[in-house]
Amino acid sequence: MKKQSFKRRTFIKTSTFAGAGLALGFTFVPLVNSATGGRVSVSGEKGAELGLWIRIAPDGTITLIAPSSEMGQGVNTSLSMILAEELEADWQSIKTETAPVNSDYKNPEQPMQLTGGSTSIKGFWEPLREVGAAAREMLITAAAQKWGVSVGACKAQSGYIIHQKSSRKLGYGELVEAAGKLDVPSDPTLKAPEEYSLVGKPVPRLDLPDKINGTAKFGIDVRLPGMLFATVRQSPVFEGTVLSHDETAAKSIRGVTAVVSIPNGIAVVANNTWRAKKGMEALNPQFQDGLTKGLDCQKVRKQFRKALDNEGKVELDSPKVLDLEYEVPYLAHATLEPMNCTASVTDNFCEVWAPTQNQEMSLDVTKEITGLDEDQIRIHTTLLGGGFGRRIEIDYVTQAVTISKNLGKPVQVTWMREEDMQHDFYRPASMSRFQISLGKNGLPEKWKNQLAAPSILKRYFAPLGWFGFDPTSTEGAKELPYAIPDFDFDFSMVDPGVPVGFWRSVGSSHNAFYIESAIDEASHLAQHNPFEYRRKLLAEKPRYLNVLEKVAQDAKWGRRLQKGHGLGIAIHKSFGSIVGAVIEISSNTSGRLELHNVWISVDCGKVVNPDIVRAQMEGGFIFGLSAAVGEEITLKAGRVEQSNFHDYSVLRMKSTPDISVSIIESGEDIGGVGEPSVPLAAPALANAIFSATGKRCRSLPFNKHGVKFV
Amino acid sequence: MQTLEINGKKYQIDVEAEMPLLWVLRDDLGLTGTKFGCGIGECGACTVHINGQAARSCSFPVAAAVGTKITTIEGLSHHNKHPVQQAWLEEQVPQCGYCQSGQIMATAALLAKNPKPTAEEVEDNITNLCRCGTYVRVRRGISRSAELMRKQRV
Repeated sequence: MKKQSFKRRTFIKTSTFAGAGLALGFTFVPLVNSATGGRVSVSGEKGAELGLWIRIAPDGTITLIAPSSEMGQGVNTSLSMILAEELEADWQSIKTETAPVNSDYKNPEQPMQLTGGSTSIKGFWEPLREVGAAAREMLITAAAQKWGVSVGACKAQSGYIIHQKSSRKLGYGELVEAAGKLDVPSDPTLKAPEEYSLVGKPVPRLDLPDKINGTAKFGIDVRLPGMLFATVRQSPVFEGTVLSHDETAAKSIRGVTAVVSIPNGIAVVANNTWRAKKGMEALNPQFQDGLTKGLDCQKVRKQFRKALDNEGKVELDSPKVLDLEYEVPYLAHATLEPMNCTASVTDNFCEVWAPTQNQEMSLDVTKEITGLDEDQIRIHTTLLGGGFGRRIEIDYVTQAVTISKNLGKPVQVTWMREEDMQHDFYRPASMSRFQISLGKNGLPEKWKNQLAAPSILKRYFAPLGWFGFDPTSTEGAKELPYAIPDFDFDFSMVDPGVPVGFWRSVGSSHNAFYIESAIDEASHLAQHNPFEYRRKLLAEKPRYLNVLEKVAQDAKWGRRLQKGHGLGIAIHKSFGSIVGAVIEISSNTSGRLELHNVWISVDCGKVVNPDIVRAQMEGGFIFGLSAAVGEEITLKAGRVEQSNFHDYSVLRMKSTPDISVSIIESGEDIGGVGEPSVPLAAPALANAIFSATGKRCRSLPFNKHGVKFV
Repeated sequence: MQTLEINGKKYQIDVEAEMPLLWVLRDDLGLTGTKFGCGIGECGACTVHINGQAARSCSFPVAAAVGTKITTIEGLSHHNKHPVQQAWLEEQVPQCGYCQSGQIMATAALLAKNPKPTAEEVEDNITNLCRCGTYVRVRRGISRSAELMRKQRV
């Protein structure tokens, strides 16, 4: 393996394998953490273990060893498009496989090898283009040398190098051996955006043909010879322990083979998942103690209130002031594929198949449990049946590895939905207060916002010595785009003990509801039009203004509405992208609300695949809408009350409005698309409800707080 | 011993009568295209056809499936040729894809008995959950499926 010259942020490296073709990859600078020497766990795939990103086989097959987990966001397609654009490959022929653990696959936007924060395109856009361009130039050089012509006389096109004058052509596969012997170009020439033939086109996704016929393999679909099936039950009061259980009864169930202890719970192992479930019912584990013993929602709210009271209030000197209090509940991720993981642990080797967003922590925990070295552990990432941040956690990996190690056999652990609902790392509940005074022109003069919320990062960093600050709680609230002369934001960290985690759009999922509701209330107090009001406050922010004006134009803001109809508007920036949304609703004669149409505009800088951007905007908004309308996790006696989709109400097609999306290609820095439309749904809907009914909803979900939907 | 007829093929099994069909398909027969989502018939990820009718296999005891013709997503068509699958590709419906076997099976069953459902009939019948939020495209996919099916009949 040759490491080539330093350029931009990356080293490009190459390797040839006897008979396996050309492989290219890159290493970020700094190369690896010198203290740890970088992370490499083994993989059977040639090239992957070297941290290489693309492999061109002698038969012309091009494989992208994709660094991101595919959880529906279309990342394998988008990354393949970026590569194919520079490589001049037939993009539809590109195969993807998800990378093993190796520091070279770490997204530079992330602290470890994981997929999250809407960062895949942002992190991999530039290096992937460089690798593609370097490979293209090497293939051109190899062909030119073969033909004895100048490099300039050859061009790459759809997987071939063509000598234009003589019309000779050679496929990439025929050139890989010769290309692999060449030096990697130190500064490959990237295509200019005007030359793009693929990036920016709404081409169909590569993964969909397998997702419509049952052949796509998710974590739960892994099947190994001799594999056993397990299910778990964990203490319903968080971090409690098993008090008693009836192992004899469990083992009397047909097919049940073992009962195994796991952290804060117990597993039943059988030859079929349903039998494991029956075994668990017979086992009837009872639990004791726990961190949240006796906790309920009222107590959580009291803790928030107390923290905010401690912050105190200010005296506002204006005839027009607002004093507002908002709150949101805990939320479950409820990925449709329940938590699961498959592990096969032997004395000297361990393989894990996980639908995970977090390869690196999966490796860490496997290493810890098995005592094996990293080069004895292989982490396979399967397709994910939804991630939304839930699969950044690795509790399911811990369990599968623990059970398999105990039994010395391959085991798949699958959670029943009830377990999934009651043992999530929830979107934090929180409470937010505003004191806002308006100036003579009606615009906010003083803005005091106080947030009380649990910290997500505390769990990760407390063992290292916690520093009392969590940007994931405050994102979207601590800085506003609006021109407000006297702005003040305070954050009080409150820890009721309920496990909290990253939920699609994280802090913005609540802060956008707070901010965009409060600014709407200010506009109404000032008797201004909510759109024009925001427009004035964003006068110095052209990117925001474009997004806002586009969505207002699409929604025909200002038109005469039918009786009972209302429009709500909101705008928010998260993960580097600005999204605006308008929703139209109506209130029928019985007071029920119907959601009709949603207009979304997004400026995510550059666009790789506009149809994927659209799909993410639609899906994100619906995810946010589902939460705003009906999702709520409540606690009683220290445990979650909801258990399945009959009492955790998720939006269905019947209630879903039509959505149209406008993409603004500003050419600015790349922003994410997986999350940024989620935060808009709650405030846009709250503002529309006010517009349609005059009722201001300051607490989510709306259907639990006085609003009924069709 | 029980005999199940799945996708035109006969399978001999020996399981508890009350075991839901879903787990026979997934864990005993390796037909993993049918998904587990909730276990209580709420989400529809496990939808299969029993004698052409959509059924939620997580709540369908295997004993009741004996003697019926069962179709799973794997048996819906060869090479993705079913009009619902075609429409799903045209409209680029799936994201993570986990719920889509169920969405497709539910749609195929609906359109087989009601080739021209009203918007209301569609929304009352296709109640499958999707967490990625593909509903807007599922709706378009259903109406495109109906069009393709009508064309096929002509």
